[in-house]
Amino acid sequence: MGCVSSKQFKRAEEYEDSSTLAKETTFSVNEVEALRVLYKKISYSIFKDGLIHKEEFQLALFRNSNKKNLFADRIFDLFDLKRNGVIEFGEFVRSLNIFHPDTPMAEKIAFAFRLYDLRGTGFIKHEELKEMVLAILNESELILSDDAVEQIVDQTFKQADTNNDGKIDYEEWKAFASKNPGLLKNMTLPYLKDITMVFPSFVLNSGASDDEL
Amino acid sequence: MEERSILMERYEIGRLLGQGTFAKVYYARNLATGQTVAIKMIHKDKIVKTGLMDQIKREISIMRLVRHPNILQLFEVMATKNRIYFVLEYAKGGELFNKIAKGKLTEEAARKYFQQLISAVDYCHSRGVYHRDLKPENLLLDENETLKVSDFGLSALAESKRQDGLLHTACGTPAYVAPEVLSRKGYSGAKADVWSCGVILFVLVANYLPFHDRNLIEMYKKISKAEYRCPRYFSVALKELLYGILDPDPNTRIPISMIKRSAWYRKPVGLAVLKTEIVNKICAEATTSGLTECFGSERNQGSLRLTNLNAFDIISLSTGFDLSRLFDEKYSQRETRFTSKQSAGAVFGKLKELARRLKLKDTKKDGVLKLATAKEGRKGILELDVEIFEIAPSFVLVELKKTNGDTLEYQKLMKDGIRPSLKDIVWAWQGDQQQPCVLRHAEQQPQLPPFPLQQ
Repeated sequence: MGCVSSKQFKRAEEYEDSSTLAKETTFSVNEVEALRVLYKKISYSIFKDGLIHKEEFQLALFRNSNKKNLFADRIFDLFDLKRNGVIEFGEFVRSLNIFHPDTPMAEKIAFAFRLYDLRGTGFIKHEELKEMVLAILNESELILSDDAVEQIVDQTFKQADTNNDGKIDYEEWKAFASKNPGLLKNMTLPYLKDITMVFPSFVLNSGASDDEL
Repeated sequence: MEERSILMERYEIGRLLGQGTFAKVYYARNLATGQTVAIKMIHKDKIVKTGLMDQIKREISIMRLVRHPNILQLFEVMATKNRIYFVLEYAKGGELFNKIAKGKLTEEAARKYFQQLISAVDYCHSRGVYHRDLKPENLLLDENETLKVSDFGLSALAESKRQDGLLHTACGTPAYVAPEVLSRKGYSGAKADVWSCGVILFVLVANYLPFHDRNLIEMYKKISKAEYRCPRYFSVALKELLYGILDPDPNTRIPISMIKRSAWYRKPVGLAVLKTEIVNKICAEATTSGLTECFGSERNQGSLRLTNLNAFDIISLSTGFDLSRLFDEKYSQRETRFTSKQSAGAVFGKLKELARRLKLKDTKKDGVLKLATAKEGRKGILELDVEIFEIAPSFVLVELKKTNGDTLEYQKLMKDGIRPSLKDIVWAWQGDQQQPCVLRHAEQQPQLPPFPLQQ
């Protein structure tokens, strides 16, 4: 039980047990197995080592492995719970669980806060929000004057930064997100309810034990 | 043995509803939601032995895409080491043909079911899915007497397909099968389905089979020559329609588009009933939202609500945030967004002009512009909501979202009608994919029928 270090890299292909993951998440054993089909597809698309690298994540999202995108980077970093540069299967399932339609709103609100807290300070600062607005404008190949961008950010701060200290803390974020549920639209993926039908290959290899009927 | 049995911690299994070569079907209840379902259970070794596994996987993917009010829906698939479970919509009303067992239907009653059947079949065909085994056992009714066709896209599991490759119905006769299928020539699934619909229609009104003989060879002969006689009480319009459908030559057999235009099918009674239902629905909606009039309301002239987007709304438009792209499929796109450097007023004017040119009805409700096609499509009238959001004074985001109707028709309208008409005012379509993608379709894409399917 002592040493695990040398084993860790070889074990990439051995995924975490489906029933453990099912217990910890909203997913059933079968849904975890279906997610594994998707995971394998992504994790073998470039490096073929059964781990999702950033390039593979970008390929899956943008159909282009070189496309840099601030927001995709943020998502990748948050999915990479162990911060070792790859998304492992367990991380993939636990993170996608936040996007499940049945996951409580509070968890989605918390995840979104971490996403926008670019530097991990515990606050969303004025300059971080501005950076993100510029990134999306840039992504849409759109140039707005600095004044216009400032105005958009100021306007939002007026609504969200209720104690007026120039940064949005978690409590302020919770209040703001609850008032504007549209903000969290991206945090719910209805697809996750259909996952067994999208990736039906799992039926062949399912390890779920038979119930007596 | 009669204890409560729970499947996968999710469903409580009830009585056995039916049993066939491959499958047992149980009544069940979702423990979390209370929803009643039918669960079809299959032993894996049976289908592995018959080599049907790949086909089943393919068909599950297809079934997921087939959602229509007259098609029994597949909710989820489950599996254990030895079994596969299909969780299906439960049709409370049982088989349609139990109704005829009590006596034949009037043409009017038959028309209602036939229209629902054709609607389901047409919808599937538009997605390259063929039933290939339409017969009474596959026609069910829900608690509102709405027809539900079962086993669409699951032909691998059809009970009738035995090892000899020949099609049989449960009673061992090929009564509903098209002649070209019997003669084992290559055949078009679409045309074979049309034939079966014709036989079903005949049975609904006559209460007996058009082609029947105790001797199977004689029956084959009758089918291949389309030898049948309509009872005298059939109306002329019905006889004409059946003549067109029960044509032994698949090449001259009437296509669905023509069935829909036939006099019998269009007979106003049935349509009037449908139309009233729709009007009632719209009126009910309008009343609940506080509007007093239904159509042509002067209130429609009010201005559109203009929502200001805050910085976080804007950020969330990034494709980098859109994880649905991991599962993306072209079939499923129901909304489109674009940005424009025009004022909201200018965009609105352009949308009105577009509606006029494409002959779309436009109304406003709660600050949202609603566009609707004049004609019914495969899943009723196609309706879209259009909402304009302001990002900066001369920079808006426009969202077009399908709220009713067939998704493929929506995509076609977007591609051929709306997108070209808007090209002058669009700055960028959000989330457009320039490149073909590697991961686009979940599984086995090459084996899915080409789209739209050429016959």
